Amino acid sequence: MVLTMEKMQDTFDPKPRKFIVWLFVVSSTIMFGGFTSYYLVFAASKGKGHGLVLPDAFIYSSLVIIASSITLVLASKALKKLNFSLQRNMLWITVILAVAFGVMQFNAWGSMVRTGATLVGNNAAISFIYVVSGMHLLHIIGGVGLIINALAGSYKSLPVAKVQYRMEIASIFWHFIDILWIYLYVFLLLNR
Amino acid sequence: MSTIALHDEHNHDHADHGHHKETLISKYIFSMDHKMIAKQFLITGIIMAVIAMGLSILFRIQLAWPDQNFPFLETFLGKWAEGGRIKPDFYLALVTIHGTIMVFFVLTAGLSGTFSNLLIPLQIGARDMASPFLNMLSYWFFFMACVIMMSSFFIQTGPASGGWTVYPPLSVVAKAMPGSGLGMTLWLISMVLFVASSLMGGINYVSTILNMRTKGMDLWKMPLTIWAFFLTAILGILSFPVLVAGVVLMVFDRSFGTSFYLSDIVMGTDILPNEGGSPILWQHLFWFLGHPEVYIVIMPALGISSEVISVNSRKPIFGYHAMVYSLIGITVLSFIVWGHHMFVTGMNPLLGGVFMITTLIIAVPSAVKTFNYLATLWRGNIRFTPAMLFAIGLVSFFISGGLTGIFLGNASLDINLHDTYFVVAHFHLVMGSAAIFGMLAGVYHWFPKMFGRMMNAKLGYLHFWLTFIAAYLVFFPLHFLGLDGVPRRYYAFTEFEFMKKWLTVNVFVTWAAIMAALAQVAFLFNFFYSIFKGKVSPQNPWESNTLEWTAPVEHLHGNWPGEIPTVYRWPYDYSKPGHDADFIPQTVPFSQTMSSNLPHDFEGNAEAEKIQQDWELANPVAESKG
Repeated sequence: MVLTMEKMQDTFDPKPRKFIVWLFVVSSTIMFGGFTSYYLVFAASKGKGHGLVLPDAFIYSSLVIIASSITLVLASKALKKLNFSLQRNMLWITVILAVAFGVMQFNAWGSMVRTGATLVGNNAAISFIYVVSGMHLLHIIGGVGLIINALAGSYKSLPVAKVQYRMEIASIFWHFIDILWIYLYVFLLLNR
Repeated sequence: MSTIALHDEHNHDHADHGHHKETLISKYIFSMDHKMIAKQFLITGIIMAVIAMGLSILFRIQLAWPDQNFPFLETFLGKWAEGGRIKPDFYLALVTIHGTIMVFFVLTAGLSGTFSNLLIPLQIGARDMASPFLNMLSYWFFFMACVIMMSSFFIQTGPASGGWTVYPPLSVVAKAMPGSGLGMTLWLISMVLFVASSLMGGINYVSTILNMRTKGMDLWKMPLTIWAFFLTAILGILSFPVLVAGVVLMVFDRSFGTSFYLSDIVMGTDILPNEGGSPILWQHLFWFLGHPEVYIVIMPALGISSEVISVNSRKPIFGYHAMVYSLIGITVLSFIVWGHHMFVTGMNPLLGGVFMITTLIIAVPSAVKTFNYLATLWRGNIRFTPAMLFAIGLVSFFISGGLTGIFLGNASLDINLHDTYFVVAHFHLVMGSAAIFGMLAGVYHWFPKMFGRMMNAKLGYLHFWLTFIAAYLVFFPLHFLGLDGVPRRYYAFTEFEFMKKWLTVNVFVTWAAIMAALAQVAFLFNFFYSIFKGKVSPQNPWESNTLEWTAPVEHLHGNWPGEIPTVYRWPYDYSKPGHDADFIPQTVPFSQTMSSNLPHDFEGNAEAEKIQQDWELANPVAESKG
């Protein structure tokens, strides 16, 4: 009995669940692959893309999301050294940067609307910018959820293995959506 | 007992689930036990199958007797069958929802959801799925999708009616026809939930298979069922997200007025403002999912029949590795053939040629599988259990339906055959009937594992023969309609002179369909009666080698009391020469079967080979025993 209990203690195995997050990343990548291949085929058949100079807000939001990845790495490093307060602070900064990212995306949409490049119009390539950045923003909301989950784990002082597990899945997902945004932005820049 | 409870705890990880009192709700409704979730998927799938079959009977009645009135139809359907005749709009809704339910809710969720959930943990030796919570969510998303899809029958304008492929513009322009309105919106919501459910399920299956196999269970010791579920889940993960992308764009077109799929549409005298979009792009996105989807439907059925045929032939499956590699081949190829659904969209003939070649290459792994089934049956000690009959039925449908695929995959022949009843006949045999038979084989075979009781075999035989014969009587004649150019989705064949001669055939087909539907009563009675009153099942009713039959009949969360058994051998040691019984379960080590071990059993382990050689020298009689 005692033996079984001891065994149970060290069988918290985060590997299968982390793998689930990776698989989600794969399927999400495929979805954006679907979007961008729509765009490529569409643009090829029309001989033109969205034809816009993308709003500056997208540059700033890209910088912000890269910064948020850096703070998240710092949070992970802090956790490895078991410095929980630094980890929490870094996670809070990440959350704030994420919110800033969202605000800037709205700004970007606003400035697009002001130049007349609206969601509803006869250029599907322009509508496409709204759709992909909007779908990406949905991912950001999910990512913030995971970061808050990691924060909550840290505040509740769960066993270190579990705090680390929550931190790791938040990191996998957050770095993914960071890279995803960079990909989308570069894609839109290159395929005018 | 406390050991089991502890396993329970570790499976959940959430501290708040640590107490293990099972309430009615946690056991039967919001269950996180894979076995209960499997039953939930199965019973929901059966209910949806009965509904979709009922819809098909309704439109078969219309096709057989387009000029007659059936007052009972008005009683049931009200204004959709005023005067006892189904209205054209409702006819289109019937075929659309029949297709949607059968393909997605029955043969994807009902089939994969049931058997992946039941068998993956039990056959690889795991206590539960990687994430039991996601698994539960997967079922409830599926359930909500079913409810929303069915709710579209209770709205004024009726369900979606643009066909299960929901091609724009019918699916996008809300005023195009009654079903394009709210019904189509509900269809889209339902499908989004369904895709979420499939992804949660599929991701869980893959992670469980790759990370949670018991000791000794390397990939090449997995039963073919697990291989099939594994590759099916991968297909789902890689293809469903593309449908999501397509659906999101469609939602924007419908609800916000964008022009992703619309251009130059004139309705009556109105010119719609949309410009620049292309409905063909929807077809690309849809079929990039849609084609893998047909393999998502058939591969689990193929895996199930591999297992059932081997067990009941009392022979190892012929060409185990070839079976796996052909599943992998089908998985890979299924992503590069979607264009064969679009040969007549004005595709560049060169591109059509490419898609034609990739399509025809799929015949190779499919034929490998078919011949392997036949070779497994060849000179086996066949036990004709109901499950075995259904598995053999699958092979039959897979051959007769698969052959016509070679016609349809040909870009030039497809010009003639596209959108005719030939296509309907082809896919109803090769993925409809075959997959349903695989699913039924699975139900008969694993019913004892699910409910601890046996189904009645005699009713099973009745069910099999009636269904098997009726399915051929329904679908075989449809080939000839198609060759004659009779198009699918038409409301009545009375308006065109050349189709009139097929009216009598349609009457015949409808009677056969009614016979098939009535045959299912034998199954439904057998199924629900046996849950409560069936003969209590022994531990291993089919004398099978796989791991699930080592778990106790009465279910416990965690599957095995105490340690999970270790696996020593592949699952197909049936009738091995030299062994006294005609099966050796995977949990029997080679040290207990010295009289039947073969050199290649040891996979090059020199020490084990030496021990075996020494034993054979010491026991020379054993050689001649076999």
